[in-house]
Amino acid sequence: MSESSTVSPIASRRRRIEIQLVVASGLVTAGAYVLAALGKNATIPPRILPFLGILLAVLTVAHLAVRVLARGADATLLPIATLLNGLGYVMIARLSDRLAGLQTTWTFIGVGAFVATLLVVQRVNDLARYKWSFLATGLGLLVLPVIPGVGFASGGARIWVSLGPINFQPGEFAKLALALFIAAYLAERGELIATSRRHYGPLRLPEARDIVPLLAAWGASVLIMVGQRDLGSSLLFFTLFMVMIWIATQRIGFLLVGFGSFAAACVAAYHLFDHVQTRVEVWLDPWSRYEGKGYQIAQAMFALGSGGTTGTGLGLGDPTRIPEAKNDFIFAAVGEELGLLGATAILIAFVLLIGGGLRAALRTRREFEKLLATGLATIVGVQAFIIIGGVVRVVPLTGITLPFVSYGGSSLVANWILLALLIRISDSSARRLGEVPDTTTIRERVEAWRLRRVEARTEQRA
Amino acid sequence: MNERIRRLTVFLLFLYIVLFAQLNVLQVGRKDSLDADIRNNRQTVRDYNEPRGEIITIDGVVVARSQRNPAGSEFAFRREYPAGELFASVTGYYTFSFGATQLERTMNDVLAGRTVEQQVKGLAALFTGADTTGSVEITLDSRIQEAARDALGDREGSVVVLDVTTGAVKALWSRPTFDPNVFAVQSDELLRDIFAFGNATPGKPLLANGYQERYMPGSTFKVITTAAALDAGVVTVESVFADEAEFLPPQTDDPITNYGGTTCGGDLAEVFIRSCNTAFARISLQLGPEAMVAAAKRFGVGVEIPIDLPRPAVARFGTVAFFEQNLPLLAIGGFGQGETQLSPLHMAMVAASVANGGRMMRPHVVSATYDHDGRLLDRTDPSVWLVPMTEATANRISELMIGVVNEGTARCCMDLAGDVQAAAKTGTAQLNGPGEPERSHAWIIGFAPADRPKYAIAVMLKGTDAEISAGTGGTLAGPVAKKVLDAALAL
Repeated sequence: MSESSTVSPIASRRRRIEIQLVVASGLVTAGAYVLAALGKNATIPPRILPFLGILLAVLTVAHLAVRVLARGADATLLPIATLLNGLGYVMIARLSDRLAGLQTTWTFIGVGAFVATLLVVQRVNDLARYKWSFLATGLGLLVLPVIPGVGFASGGARIWVSLGPINFQPGEFAKLALALFIAAYLAERGELIATSRRHYGPLRLPEARDIVPLLAAWGASVLIMVGQRDLGSSLLFFTLFMVMIWIATQRIGFLLVGFGSFAAACVAAYHLFDHVQTRVEVWLDPWSRYEGKGYQIAQAMFALGSGGTTGTGLGLGDPTRIPEAKNDFIFAAVGEELGLLGATAILIAFVLLIGGGLRAALRTRREFEKLLATGLATIVGVQAFIIIGGVVRVVPLTGITLPFVSYGGSSLVANWILLALLIRISDSSARRLGEVPDTTTIRERVEAWRLRRVEARTEQRA
Repeated sequence: MNERIRRLTVFLLFLYIVLFAQLNVLQVGRKDSLDADIRNNRQTVRDYNEPRGEIITIDGVVVARSQRNPAGSEFAFRREYPAGELFASVTGYYTFSFGATQLERTMNDVLAGRTVEQQVKGLAALFTGADTTGSVEITLDSRIQEAARDALGDREGSVVVLDVTTGAVKALWSRPTFDPNVFAVQSDELLRDIFAFGNATPGKPLLANGYQERYMPGSTFKVITTAAALDAGVVTVESVFADEAEFLPPQTDDPITNYGGTTCGGDLAEVFIRSCNTAFARISLQLGPEAMVAAAKRFGVGVEIPIDLPRPAVARFGTVAFFEQNLPLLAIGGFGQGETQLSPLHMAMVAASVANGGRMMRPHVVSATYDHDGRLLDRTDPSVWLVPMTEATANRISELMIGVVNEGTARCCMDLAGDVQAAAKTGTAQLNGPGEPERSHAWIIGFAPADRPKYAIAVMLKGTDAEISAGTGGTLAGPVAKKVLDAALAL
């Protein structure tokens, strides 16, 4: 095949670095897994061999997929994801054997989705064509949990959907669909929105038809807040929209108006909804509500405090005392057993992941890819900030998963797809910059073959 | 567009720096206060799987210990209090999820083997598997404590016995109290119910009433007023007070009367041993707000008593500004009524300071701590906390208090075994307003032997409904004090 015969020193160096980092993340994960079992039960974990096998399989498949399908991509994105996924798995396995088994399945599906995404999406720009489908899908997924009979609430937020035997959180996928839509829409019309000069009194606003879809997106985030009582996702969606509009149009006015109106919506929600008020009160003072709603956050504080600088050691802490430690509060469990050092490592991993995404955004020249990469990096960055910030009491707590780390299928699969898109964007700019030979994709070859046949036929007829 | 993406990068980085800063605050800055939070049971969970040292009285009775649970239990050990409720005020409880109190809390590091010294020795134990826990020896004597419990019987109140010269607490008993064994259950729900019950029970049984609650001291406070007046030179032993049934202080039409409306007066010894309210109202007004408040402060009012047990009640008397506006309250404050409130421990310390030549010792319950091999870790050295009065004044008041026993309000009941001379002051703190049924705290504070004082005592019977007279405190609390002092002096 021509693909394997084209030599690219840059690509091979990137893949070599990647495999080294992936192996390192695998060693950290395996070491942590053994230590956690030693700490908890003072024995080598009984399922160590299957665990190592699965770990090896997952890492190999993910790395090979990048090597074959996106060999020019950034070398750090995949190892950071495998490290976060691995450490998250160790914490979950340490908390509950049953969930560990499920999380293994989710990781398989996630990596499968990762490979599938790389396989299907070989040219990122193709995705821009389906922007209206993405909008419809995104909004549809958002509405799904509110529909009686399909959606159901668990833990206060109505964000679940039950289809037959499968329960999932459509919001996790909706954020991808909407990011794709907004990126495509703004790539096409950002310039128009930015330069339009229709005056409404002292205000200079874009044409109504240009801005309507974005207003719809804003409406969606308010809908989430009100309809699903899911403040974290609402804030995430909203930040995503605002950041992307600002990046695309350079108009700071959008940011101000947007955040102003959102702040107003928040204040209104605070006065209208008890659960919002409770969240804020618990944030300000969990101690006086220790026996009630403040218990969880107080336990998280205790966990973090008991971890101190170096942590209690894996398996030696008591993170099961934190309600939802496997999920929203997994960061507190990490902080307890791995201490400030381990928790900071997680923070740095997220910073590097965001940095990798934004670097991909900076390197690509295509507006759609730029916006998409920015949007995806923002999703990871803001989502992790919202939940970690909630756990450490920087912001009010809102239930949302910690990407790659928390337990949960929807979240894990969605984030692996997100990662695949970032890797794809990174790879495509490497090709465009000539760092890697831009070989044709399978579909392009099929397409070319068809075109040649059509031409041949028309020539014959002629 | 790239410029904005870079700015976004900086913004996101800033968000993570904020998270990092807050992590430092929680995991380093506030670590100690979070770990010390009484609701934080993480350490307890760990501790339940480790042995924990004993608390032993000075006469060798084990009052708290760890027992190994049967194999297969959730935790390896459970806490046991062989003396039941007898030492609850001192040992406190050690719960699974609601923290610990008293010595179980303050001496936690020693009991769990976490002091620096024990840890250093424990390094070797890592290899030998030896026990690193420590034990705490308390100053209380189980025989005096039992005497206090038996003498108080089923009445509510407190008995505190102090070693006069060292400040060591020899007995600290109060009712209602609790059995710490009940709190050793290892179940959250059960504990929640137990606490709810304990907190709902009148009389605050979960608090060590002997030092964590304060009560109106009644005429026992006259010891402080007298000390202040003698030291200020406002009165001398020669001062004479007019016989009177009532005295009208300024700023009011409501006269101060003596107990039972009797006519009362004479020299200082006479008014002290008969406990004349009118005379002491005059003395405190003569001293004035500033001198009275200063004297109370010299006796430790308004300050936390530096006892080695958590959260002692802070005594209160009143402020200069307040008394200047409310002279009648200063007048009745001089004989322990009105706003005045002290803990039974504090009143025992007042008696002890008279017995100890005017020096108030720092009270303590921990005598010494030992490591698992019986080597001394730390010993409490007696120290003077306050010097509330001169030695001469202390000696004069001592004489007055002997007079109370021999011919005054405690004549009835403080005749100690073996002809040991006691010194005392009684008090009847009136709780009812005019026209209501009579209710009072009955008090006695004192020490014995009077010539070479060994033990000081405070007995308080809470909210009795006996008829109020100058002798009420003596007749009710006196016999309790006598029994306890007899038992202590017989050792």
